[in-house]
Amino acid sequence: MPQCAAFWTHCLSCLEQELPSQQYKTWIVPLRAEEPSGGDGAGLRLVAPSNFHRQWLRDRYLRRIEELGEEYFGAPLAIEVGLAPAGGVRRPSAPPSAAPVSTATQSTAAAPQPAPPMPRPAMPEAPVSAETANYDKSRLNPDFTFDTLVTGRANDLARAAALQVAQNPGVSYNPLFIYGGVGLGKTHLIHALGNYVFKHDPRKVIRYVHAEDYYADVVRAYQQKSFDVFKRYYRSLDVLIIDDIQFFNNKNRTQEEFFHAFNALTEAKKQIIITSDTYPKDVQGLEDRLISRFDWGLTVQIEPPELEMRVAILKKKAEVERIALDDDVAFLIAKNLRSNVRELEGALKKVLAFARFHGKEVTLEVAKEALKDLLNAHNRQLTVEFIQKTVADYYKIKVADMHSKKRTRVIARPRQVAMFLAKDLTPMSLPAIGEAFGGRDHTTVLHACRTIAELRLGDTQLNHDLHVLTQVLRG
Amino acid sequence: MKQLTLDLRADAPPVLENFVAAANADLLAALYEAVPVADVPQHIFLWGDAGSGRSHLLRSIVTAAAQAGRPACYLQAADVGETLPEAPGLLLAIDDVEALGPGAQIALFRAFNGARAQRMTLITSGCAAPLHLHLREDLRTRIGQSLIFEVKALTDTDREAILAAQAATRGLRLEPEIVQYLLRHGRRDLTSLLRTLDALDAASLERKRAITLPLLREVLQRDLSC
Repeated sequence: MPQCAAFWTHCLSCLEQELPSQQYKTWIVPLRAEEPSGGDGAGLRLVAPSNFHRQWLRDRYLRRIEELGEEYFGAPLAIEVGLAPAGGVRRPSAPPSAAPVSTATQSTAAAPQPAPPMPRPAMPEAPVSAETANYDKSRLNPDFTFDTLVTGRANDLARAAALQVAQNPGVSYNPLFIYGGVGLGKTHLIHALGNYVFKHDPRKVIRYVHAEDYYADVVRAYQQKSFDVFKRYYRSLDVLIIDDIQFFNNKNRTQEEFFHAFNALTEAKKQIIITSDTYPKDVQGLEDRLISRFDWGLTVQIEPPELEMRVAILKKKAEVERIALDDDVAFLIAKNLRSNVRELEGALKKVLAFARFHGKEVTLEVAKEALKDLLNAHNRQLTVEFIQKTVADYYKIKVADMHSKKRTRVIARPRQVAMFLAKDLTPMSLPAIGEAFGGRDHTTVLHACRTIAELRLGDTQLNHDLHVLTQVLRG
Repeated sequence: MKQLTLDLRADAPPVLENFVAAANADLLAALYEAVPVADVPQHIFLWGDAGSGRSHLLRSIVTAAAQAGRPACYLQAADVGETLPEAPGLLLAIDDVEALGPGAQIALFRAFNGARAQRMTLITSGCAAPLHLHLREDLRTRIGQSLIFEVKALTDTDREAILAAQAATRGLRLEPEIVQYLLRHGRRDLTSLLRTLDALDAASLERKRAITLPLLREVLQRDLSC
């Protein structure tokens, strides 16, 4: 067994290197290695905490562990995967006292809760430099840079303006007002701007703040009677980046505070960057004096990306994940999700996760399969009436024939198909389905279901019909 | 005489282990992977029919996270006010997002914006794919950026397996013909099936009778007349 223990330690360190951290922590760390039940000491027994865990391990990781075993011992290693006894699930990462589960049922319970102690990384923490602390306070996202921004006709002008402002903050255009629809990359652009300024002068005090958070700061200043601190802080910034200004809608005190901060900063030649979902004059509920100030600098728009740009965005995002994305897969995603970049990213994540979970290459077929969850139309509750109508239309018979006593093949078969689909696609009981088909007995429904299930195995036309009808019904 | 029963049913807390994976193995694996705190949190959105098990999954992942020592919180959308819990590393599950009120939508929007800095994971669920959710566009697209899964419906074979497992936890033995009858004559969504199983369990105790077809018929009949 000591040999096995040494192998398992070796195996853990290999897998930790090879697998993404979440996979390693989820599927490998909770395993317990022990001597196999046979008792002859040969091989290794891994104990998984749950049935699902055991199956997942067998499907995805066992082969690799076997390979490592063969490399280590120079001969194939017999690995047995067992299940921990109920209640004996080992969770090595769990501290002695588990964190509280909060299942609030009232809105009052949704108030912020004290954070229980977090699992700490084993590594000693490096001392935080003043620069790092300054960056952390900026609330900028380091992933959003000009390098990771895909440029196209839709954001060309906005990018050029942002870059110019980043090179000369407080000098060229003040404020820089960027507007465009949801999920088009406004936030990415302004973070990129902030990151650029910081990279070239880490002493600059930059702050990214969402308009809602600015409002929350005003409220807090009210509650704690700390307006002086609030004002001092916002007026001390070199670059203020405020996102989604439309959230100031009718928040008068917030607007007033911002108005004064705006004046102070612009007078001191400090840079202000603002984003909104619409053109300044169209932002609802904003005071005119604020709107007129937004016109002082430069206003640029970001438009929805065209197809080619969406493809380029997808390829760039895949590149970050170190995956080469074929053009046809990128086109499939880009064609189906037109309006915004955020959902493009969601779709790409889904395709990559699907391929990873199933151990497949990212091909067009895999992408189509993966995107079903996203692109399926409304998950409407199907009714038996809708199924009857759809099937009747498909086979060009009358809906009334679904209820009739006629037993000719041209009518009986579609009726059976409709019964089959009703059982398959609704949770209705068989007697209820029978009732909906002209008061038939549940055994008739059962017979219909069995007949169709058998026939479709040999009848390609019927199988095709069922496939098409299911697609139509599910939207 | 009717036997009065003491309501001492075995408590079956929703845990990931007792969710029948069936066609949802990917989804279940993604949820397991969301339990440890990640440097860059991967938010997850689940959608599917009522009764497909979304709430079970959300409650389960909150339980799993708490057991792993991670702060976790489950909230029904209808109960969310204008603030949401915030804590470093928090796993926050919000069920039925389509029921979020205007203030609650902004609260969830802010949670999405702040999640990265706090290493919070957001697990949300809804009745439809994000493309078809009627929510603020800025929130809808943020949900759309999550890893999205449809909770797929169970087949009759899966339902049989669940019924057998659930009966076993109640100390019942269900003959195959009972399960077959139930699947042929009753509603086949899991909530209804489990409700019938509970009723059957209670009826069997009250009348000191084994679970037989006549007893099942009686229970189903009583359900219909209620």
